[in-house]
Amino acid sequence: MNKLLPIFVLLLLAGCKDRYDLVLKPSDTSLLVVEGALDAGNGPTTIRLSKTLKVNESLAFSPELNARVTVEGQDGSSYTLSPSGLGRYFNSHLGLTTGQEYRLRIKTADNKEYLSDFVRALPTPAIDSVNWHKTEDGLMVYVNTHDPAQSSRYYKWDFDETWEIRSYYASDFEYVGGTEIVYHPMYRFRCWKYGISQTINIGSSAKLAEDKINEAPVLLIPFGSEKLSVRYSMLLKQQALTKQAYEYFQLMKKNTETLGTIFDPQPSELKGNIHCVTNPAEGVIGYLTAAEFTQKRIFITAQDLNWSYQQACYYERVKNNPDSIRAWVPSYLPFGGEEIAPGVVTYYYMAPAACVDCTKRGGDLNMPSYW
Amino acid sequence: MFRLYFIILLVCSAMAATAQQDARITGRFENIDAASFFKQIESTSPYYFYYDAAQLKDVRVQLSVSNQPIQKVLEQAFAGTDIKFAIDAQNRVFISRKVAVSTTLPAGYFSNTASDVEEQKIALQTAGERPVNKVSSEVKTYEIGVKSNQSTDKNIIITGYVRNERSGEPVINAVVFADQLNVGVQTDQYGYYRLNLPPGSYTINVQGIGMKDSKYNVVVYGPGQMDIDLKEQINVLKTVVVSAQKVANLKQVQLGVERLNMDAIRRVPTVFGEADVMRVVLTLPGVKTVGEASTGFNVRGGSADQNLVLMNGATIYNPSHFFGMFSAFNPELVKDIELYKSSIPAKYGGRLSSVLDINLKEGNKKNVTGSAGIGLVTGRFNIEGPLAKNKTSFVAGARSTYANWLLKLLPTPYDRSEANFYDANLSIHHQANNKNNFYLNAYTSEDKFNLASDTTYGYSNQNFNINWKHNFSSKLLAVFSTGIDKYQYRVHSDKNVVNAYTLDFGIDQYNFKTDFSYFLNLDHTLDFGLSTIRYKLTPGSFQPLGDESLVVPDIVPAEQAQESALYLSEKFNVSPDLSITGGVRYSFFNYLGPGTVNYYAAGLPKDENNVVESKNYAAGNVINTYHGPEFRLAARYSVTPSFSVKAGYNSLRQYIHMLSNTTAIAPTDIWKLSDPNIRPQQGDQVSLGLYKNLKENTIETSVEVYYKKIKDYLDYKPGANLVLNHHVETDVVSTRGKAYGAEVSIKKTTGKLNGWLSYTYSRILLQMDDSTIGNPVNGGNWYPANYDKPHDLTAVLNFKVNHRFSLSLNTTYSTGRPITLPIGRFYYGGSQRVLYSDRNAYRIPDYFRADFSMNIDGNYKVNQRTHNSWTLGVYNLTGRKNPFSVYYVSENGNVNGYRLSIFGSAIPFINFNIHF
Repeated sequence: MNKLLPIFVLLLLAGCKDRYDLVLKPSDTSLLVVEGALDAGNGPTTIRLSKTLKVNESLAFSPELNARVTVEGQDGSSYTLSPSGLGRYFNSHLGLTTGQEYRLRIKTADNKEYLSDFVRALPTPAIDSVNWHKTEDGLMVYVNTHDPAQSSRYYKWDFDETWEIRSYYASDFEYVGGTEIVYHPMYRFRCWKYGISQTINIGSSAKLAEDKINEAPVLLIPFGSEKLSVRYSMLLKQQALTKQAYEYFQLMKKNTETLGTIFDPQPSELKGNIHCVTNPAEGVIGYLTAAEFTQKRIFITAQDLNWSYQQACYYERVKNNPDSIRAWVPSYLPFGGEEIAPGVVTYYYMAPAACVDCTKRGGDLNMPSYW
Repeated sequence: MFRLYFIILLVCSAMAATAQQDARITGRFENIDAASFFKQIESTSPYYFYYDAAQLKDVRVQLSVSNQPIQKVLEQAFAGTDIKFAIDAQNRVFISRKVAVSTTLPAGYFSNTASDVEEQKIALQTAGERPVNKVSSEVKTYEIGVKSNQSTDKNIIITGYVRNERSGEPVINAVVFADQLNVGVQTDQYGYYRLNLPPGSYTINVQGIGMKDSKYNVVVYGPGQMDIDLKEQINVLKTVVVSAQKVANLKQVQLGVERLNMDAIRRVPTVFGEADVMRVVLTLPGVKTVGEASTGFNVRGGSADQNLVLMNGATIYNPSHFFGMFSAFNPELVKDIELYKSSIPAKYGGRLSSVLDINLKEGNKKNVTGSAGIGLVTGRFNIEGPLAKNKTSFVAGARSTYANWLLKLLPTPYDRSEANFYDANLSIHHQANNKNNFYLNAYTSEDKFNLASDTTYGYSNQNFNINWKHNFSSKLLAVFSTGIDKYQYRVHSDKNVVNAYTLDFGIDQYNFKTDFSYFLNLDHTLDFGLSTIRYKLTPGSFQPLGDESLVVPDIVPAEQAQESALYLSEKFNVSPDLSITGGVRYSFFNYLGPGTVNYYAAGLPKDENNVVESKNYAAGNVINTYHGPEFRLAARYSVTPSFSVKAGYNSLRQYIHMLSNTTAIAPTDIWKLSDPNIRPQQGDQVSLGLYKNLKENTIETSVEVYYKKIKDYLDYKPGANLVLNHHVETDVVSTRGKAYGAEVSIKKTTGKLNGWLSYTYSRILLQMDDSTIGNPVNGGNWYPANYDKPHDLTAVLNFKVNHRFSLSLNTTYSTGRPITLPIGRFYYGGSQRVLYSDRNAYRIPDYFRADFSMNIDGNYKVNQRTHNSWTLGVYNLTGRKNPFSVYYVSENGNVNGYRLSIFGSAIPFINFNIHF
């Protein structure tokens, strides 16, 4: 009996959660999705346009190409964002003025026009610090900020992240092609990987006496994650939000990230501040915001953490003759060998490619400038 | 004056006895009635008889005499009866009952006086303590009223209590039935009954749940009290006796009433093996739930807050423990339950859908007894006994959980969870005398849990009430009650010191009510009374926790209101076959100051931009008033003795609303009073039912259909914020609803195999019809409510292998509940996300579950000090993963669909109980 107890109590309290897909009714709904914020500071502004997809469609992303995207100021000013591929519309420096109101006008290739409400370009206080703690589940990264003017109150954070990875085996060889292997010390040993925030991170001090955000969590790096195998860096960007924008993002977060408890709220429709002028009944996903962005970069080094990243690697001894090599490459790659004389290799040590070549793990060989 | 007459009377009787004649009688009288007997004697002798034919109508004479004097003949003829006679000098024979009061004085002179005397005698007796018959023997014949003064009233009232002979506790819903007239009544929650009978001899049949069916011989002369002590079925804990309502289902006027006693409840397997009132309620036709982790229940398309849950008259706002896995009612203390789905008596009000009335035990008045039980998650201890023998009794019980050790066994992060709950009851009953009974009830419960997060939730119920039941006369009965009901919750979080907070919510409710019952005559019974409730709500108080917290206190101002009602209902027996109950309840609701109310521009959406006036009201000011009548009508027609047709119409109003945008009842749901912006909910229901009993009432079948309209039900705007909202009216939408359905049920109440099978078809659809809502859910079209589950088939079967071993099987199938699923997907914020549109357009897969349990009892030796029993079983026998919800969530950049099941496998359980 005692052996059974934990099992069914687990089932009971952790619930029994498993992957499941209901057959969804086909829907023709295809709405415009507008993502991005106008940077009223010195940074670039990118607005990304896409279309919604069917839930079970294999396509990951349907960019809205060839649209004309302009920012209009209440003062009559106008700025153009130019297409930069994958549905992105870009301007390196809009030069907006904080306190002024701006809106976004979009004309799609099928001649539909979309217009946002006017939004005020908000000033954003600086990030005080980005810190982290080890928790029971992993490493939690937090942001701390405050607004001396006590006027921001609502915040949103996005980040770019970079982490260094190193191959399990430091290779002395490079597999060139065919059966040719050449000597190449430290070949593809260090790489860098990049990511962006995948959750909506928002916070509010509206209920506090001071406009102060204390340790708002922005990211949990689970134990054993590759991100902290060597060194990790996060560039955290902060923007102030209006209350309405905050509520919009909060609802989007509730709808899409925090379901799955017994006490789930009902998912509900999102209503943003962008409208279709041509067909007012058509919904638009997204909420245009404008703010000065502030940012801060931090580094976390694995050595300080007693982190336990483990890559499962092993090697094979492969005789140095074309037939043997051909049998193993390119899924296995050489990293060492047995030399009977300098340059005369009798056996190569070969390991799965991902253990030798860090680009096989999605890494980039160029060290970023800030590293 | 009386004394004088009485003496004269006695003197005259003595004189009469000496004046005898010597005529002889001969004859054979073969089972003839008294009148014929007297006629025969008159025809062959000089005697002339004076008697009241009505008094003697049931007297038969069987006699053979030869040349006997008249005294001998009459003595023989009426031997063993109470008939007395007197003979005067003029050969006049005066026949009477009980006392030979008949006079030899000129009849015309004294007869009236004599009857006056006797009326005064009765009056004297009733003014003092009326003699109470205590009925427990089936062999004796009991007399009610005074034999010498047989009432000429055809409508004699007999009242009394039906009690358990062993414990002195009342037997609720026992049927007291006069065989000869086919007239029966049920005892009320105090075990009290009132039967109207014409004078005569009867066999009174008494059937109580768990009690031995008993028959008593009764001769009724006049009004009186007859208390009945029933013997328990000796193996009462074990057998499956559900016989109390053998005829009640056909005879009662009400529709949609379900009654269950604890023995039936105990049989139904539950997840941890502990008998659970709410789980069993969910097996009844017309009752649904959104899922297993919720004790919220939905009756005939009503939402969970539209049920009035009463425990000994106390309103329980949160009837659940431990994430809804347990109900808040200690099963060892519950005596029985009643659920009113359709014909809600006029004395109840304030909720739209149903009344669940839970009666607790009154306590053993003779001996101290108790029970203790232990299961996987809870332990419980209960004790009851007399404080003053046969007068005052108490019941006390407590229950607590020790689930934390189990939670520690879970893998991380769930091993950091904590959950605790307890509840405790105390009831005292004092019977001051036959006319006055006092009842005191107290209840407290608390829950605390933390699911591996930095937030701790806690909630508690506290209830206290005192009831005084007073019999003004055998015709007028009253119950006066007053009490306090409290519910509060607290959420607190202290991990982030800057944001550490507590959030409190509370309801305080002060009640007073009085219910009168007046028995006008055999065909008319009146119930009337009044009730008033004072509400004080603390809708939200957000406070800093700890010195470093920067949280600004945010207090939503308290709300207060007075809800009062007057009611009058009459039960009219038009004929033995047709009965009608008609009731009117008039309810008043005053929303009271102090408070600030926002008024919004007419015809515009209620939002902060459309506030035209924000008005302050001082303490005690009436801010606004709602009032209106509610009608409760029902009729029953018996087509044949085993087949009845019933119809009913009910309307109800509800002034307090639970605000919840979660599917299950959450521990953070708040309640809101009606105010100038939130109108009371109103419901109207018509229903029709057919009831047929088969096989000598051992199988009860019924079909009920209903149609219901709901007005001003509260639904929520997308993304509504309900907690700490100072103007919650801007986030809710008044919605109308329609519900309809049919319930078919077959019940077998006795025999080795018993149980019930019910099928329910029901729909509940909602529509946001408020024209000021810019963006109504589903474009203003009808949409199913969260708990709309059209088909439901439930079977509860018990098989008694022998007296000590029984098996139970509970199976249920229902349509999956509606959910909102994505209509599309988009990429935003570094992740795929889903897009929602029409609410509740999909359904989760159908629900099926079978539970099995075995009840094993120790021996039955009556004199043994303790009796024990085991319950073993398996919940969700087939291990089916019944989804509680299906949802899509963005994880690591992708959208994944999941199914959340509360119980994903078969769950064994074991429970041990000991009674002493």
